[in-house]
Amino acid sequence: MTAIALRPPQVVMRLQRLGAAHPTRLSFLRQLIRRAAKERWRVRKERFELDDHGFGRAVYAVETPGRIYSLVAFSTPLDDDKRSDRVIAQAWDTSYVLYDGLPDAAEIARLEENAPLQEAGRFTNRELVLARANKSVRLFEAVAAALAQGRQPVEEQLLGVGYLLRTTAVYGNGKFGIADRDEIASRPELSGSFQAEMLTIWLIRSFTLDLVDHIAHRRNPTGAARLAPDLRRALGVGNATGLGMAPFLVRHPLLTHSWFLARETALARVRAEPHAGEAERKAFSGALADLRQRVARWHSDDIRQSAATRSLADDLDTLAENLDHLLTKPRPWDALYRFAEEQFSLEGQEACVALILEPHGALIDELGETMKADETPGHAIDGSMSCGTLRQAILDCYSWATSIDFAGPAANARFWYVSAEKLEPRLGERFEEDGAELEQPLATARDAINLAAALAQGPASSRVAEFLLRRPEWRHAVRRAQIVASFPYAEIHDNLIAADLRPVDILRAKLAFFGARSFDPRSDRWLRIALFGGEPLIEDVASTAPDGEAA
Amino acid sequence: MIDMSLNEVETLSTKAARGAGFSWGQAEEIGRAARRIAVEDGGWGFAMLSLVENAHFFQPPDLARVARWRNGEADVATGRPLCPIRTAALLLDDPPPAGVMPLTIFDVGLPIWLDAMLRRSKMRLAHPVGLRTSRADVVIERSVDIWQPVAGRRGAVDQQTLTALNSFAVRTYVPESERSRVRGAGGVRVDDE
Repeated sequence: MTAIALRPPQVVMRLQRLGAAHPTRLSFLRQLIRRAAKERWRVRKERFELDDHGFGRAVYAVETPGRIYSLVAFSTPLDDDKRSDRVIAQAWDTSYVLYDGLPDAAEIARLEENAPLQEAGRFTNRELVLARANKSVRLFEAVAAALAQGRQPVEEQLLGVGYLLRTTAVYGNGKFGIADRDEIASRPELSGSFQAEMLTIWLIRSFTLDLVDHIAHRRNPTGAARLAPDLRRALGVGNATGLGMAPFLVRHPLLTHSWFLARETALARVRAEPHAGEAERKAFSGALADLRQRVARWHSDDIRQSAATRSLADDLDTLAENLDHLLTKPRPWDALYRFAEEQFSLEGQEACVALILEPHGALIDELGETMKADETPGHAIDGSMSCGTLRQAILDCYSWATSIDFAGPAANARFWYVSAEKLEPRLGERFEEDGAELEQPLATARDAINLAAALAQGPASSRVAEFLLRRPEWRHAVRRAQIVASFPYAEIHDNLIAADLRPVDILRAKLAFFGARSFDPRSDRWLRIALFGGEPLIEDVASTAPDGEAA
Repeated sequence: MIDMSLNEVETLSTKAARGAGFSWGQAEEIGRAARRIAVEDGGWGFAMLSLVENAHFFQPPDLARVARWRNGEADVATGRPLCPIRTAALLLDDPPPAGVMPLTIFDVGLPIWLDAMLRRSKMRLAHPVGLRTSRADVVIERSVDIWQPVAGRRGAVDQQTLTALNSFAVRTYVPESERSRVRGAGGVRVDDE
């Protein structure tokens, strides 16, 4: 079988394409669901101590083969005017920790004093994840009211939003004193990227569904309905994500490379398949039908996204019309991808990537194990390299950036900084705001091109170590250039300080790897998404098929 | 004492180092080295504060001195202590030939940092140095193993040291303007669904 080349980084790593990314079966929540189904994880409600209004505490314990983890949830009153998606909020409807083990009463009391405070609280290495979520108020109340009246909520209204609560932050890796990633990295169930965070959100989903059932029951103990099983399964957890997440892909180049390399390797493997079997055709058709249904419900007020979603719907119609014909060709999945590449919008092309991967778990799922990288030790600089060699490597790897005029105001319009008020990344206007001298090292293309110019000022034969001894200000750029030369998917191939930068494109790429859907940009800097919608509930996972599909 | 995660130790140390004037690339390596000190010694905060408060007293190795090291010639001190970070970075970037090891370097400032930086390589200090050693002659030798992180460790720090380190870290932050406050991360609306 002749191999198919991977899509190159100059195609894959452009911001416009990143901003059209779709979740695949390699996404992190899908990996978690598959493992939980295979290992038959069991969940039990250890505590559910909520009052008539749904305020109080709950503990959900999940048993994995090796360990027990607990979601400790707190639901507290919140004035409507304090309910905000922004990170500057100071109070939330609900707060959570993923606890390592099963907490006793004293531990729950400690967590109850700290978790509702979030960043202002203090945590220990027994806590693996810290999170909070707000109600989608109008919908939550509409669902509670309908159930209390003994009827099911209006399906279209429910699925149009897709969730009852929306997380506004999910913190891992040592934030505010919680456990470092090092502490869980060797545990098989949590060793993959963001598995602890995904487990937390999966458990939060069940809590939100139980919460609305509980409130309805307390309003009408004898006549309330429970949310129907198909609606429970259809609902996910919302999430609002802003600039704080944007630098992650830039700051973790090895991890970023590993994620994209796995996905692109999977795509190349499937495209090289000589035939489409009956089971694969059937699974593809099912996935296509499911996606068309989701796209029909995908609503966004954002003009660009709503236009892209309409194009996607048209693309999927075209795909459905041509599917039988395409799948009879030699190398049918390659034919299908090339058809999409020629005919479809970027949104349609990336949706096709996800669809093509869907029927091929046996061929690609093991690639999920490669989607991690330990960046803790830092990447060593090869100082024995000559300055001329490094300069040429930069010009090769960043050839896409050599024509950018970084002296011009449009190319150099923005700067990334850390806000003194919230200690979060922000994007400033270089020529309109103060603080550019405190710029974070995220102007990757500009720094690479300027480094190449600095290297050209000295002898090409001199060693990089000597250059860095004289010019230590280039140390971060030298390290990055050497990483990008060896790990081609490590770099976004666009100018991250340009006037026309849309940070939501970076956010979408990362969120798609999580497994997010229903992308709803609220500006060029933040968006809302949904996670786990349509996926098995964690309490049902022990009875699902090993691949995570309903048995 | 405040019990910090190692990620908090690394993040704060990186910011404090940058705030003290180290380059971004150096600051990242200082953060990682602070993590190693925290794992092995309770005094990472003291070590970090000593580094950022004394950063301007140190000098980098000059090319002539580096050439002597690489040629196996005896080192010559210059009167001002060597910067442990820039010395370590040079040794890590372009390790000395095996034939010149063990390598004696005179008058290294805060050698605990040279030790912590070299631990991610197959070099180490032949003799242990204390957190409070302000300057010392050191011998660098080959190491069989590269240091591996140990799970379950934390980094305690007293409030006074933490406040002092934060005073360096805050130099890397940009105060909010009214415009940036409004624009923020992008979202200004409260829940509307």
